[in-house]
Amino acid sequence: MYKQLISSLLLGLCFISPVFAGSAADDVDVSKPWAREVPPGLTTSAGFLTLHNKGSKEHRLVAAESPAAGMVELHTHINDNGVMRMRPVDDIPIPSGGMAELKPGGYHLMLMMLKKPLKSGQTMPITLEFEDGSKKEIQAEILHFSMERNMQHMNKEH
Amino acid sequence: MTKLPRIFLVFLLAFGQAQAWSLFSSSDENERFPGMGGDFTLRSADGPVALKDFRGKLVLIYFGYTSCPDVCPTSLGALSSALRKLSNQEMARVQPIFISVDPERDDTAKLKEYTRYFHPKMIGATADLPYLRDLAKRYGAFFRKAPIEDSSIGYAMDHSSTIYVVNEEGKLVDMIQHGGSPKLILQHIRTALGRP
Repeated sequence: MYKQLISSLLLGLCFISPVFAGSAADDVDVSKPWAREVPPGLTTSAGFLTLHNKGSKEHRLVAAESPAAGMVELHTHINDNGVMRMRPVDDIPIPSGGMAELKPGGYHLMLMMLKKPLKSGQTMPITLEFEDGSKKEIQAEILHFSMERNMQHMNKEH
Repeated sequence: MTKLPRIFLVFLLAFGQAQAWSLFSSSDENERFPGMGGDFTLRSADGPVALKDFRGKLVLIYFGYTSCPDVCPTSLGALSSALRKLSNQEMARVQPIFISVDPERDDTAKLKEYTRYFHPKMIGATADLPYLRDLAKRYGAFFRKAPIEDSSIGYAMDHSSTIYVVNEEGKLVDMIQHGGSPKLILQHIRTALGRP
């Protein structure tokens, strides 16, 4: 009798798990999340990371939030013949089997209304939200500008 | 008869090349940006800042604004990293200036704190918008307030991201485009310092 209970329970779980298995948060890995240290008194900074989609369909980053910032938005830069235009975007697509890079000069998380200055050596928790509502929490490393080149260099080696 | 036009063509090509080359390696630096640049007076936390105060020094100018989350910190960070590689003697001959094109949000105290973070010698200055517009135009810089509807920032400042190099006589001699690595910026600075 118990065997039946257990096996039906396991079977039941198999039906529930597809809801989470194959969700965007499951399919998407995050590498090298970091945010820029800013001068004291400033309440805006930018966060960067690389998203890898190992799933079979395209996913999209649609929002982000952090207890350390009053507001986080997704932004990009359009380089219009040397004029940099920063604009909010609704989402950042991550192709199936591919990746999306949030890096200086391109897509980035705009971290606004920072509750306290970001200091090099600390980490900042950020929760990423995908198109299906699934979420993923990451810890972004705060870097001084002199450390940035190392990070970008490392990213290129992937 | 066919040989003559061919030789002429080769001559024309060589002449054209020589002309083009002279544009890049002109011994007379003043010709590179004719009519551009020029003096200015701005306000800072430590009083008025005039370009002619820095005759005898190489002045590096960047236009931006402190609420800029990415482009300005990237460029100022790269510039600062380059400056840190200069010797004390070289650095004594260089004056970096950050000009905010967002006087609405950037007061002089804020500017001083901002620039000091990047480099102790960097001056932060600004002026009223009409003055800044004229100044930017003279240097070939562009900036524009762009209202953003679906964002808490309210407005962004679209702007060109270039480091303007002014020589010891106050003449605009070089422009370093956005994205330059500290190494590249350093090269430009050393080249400008090298010229008598």
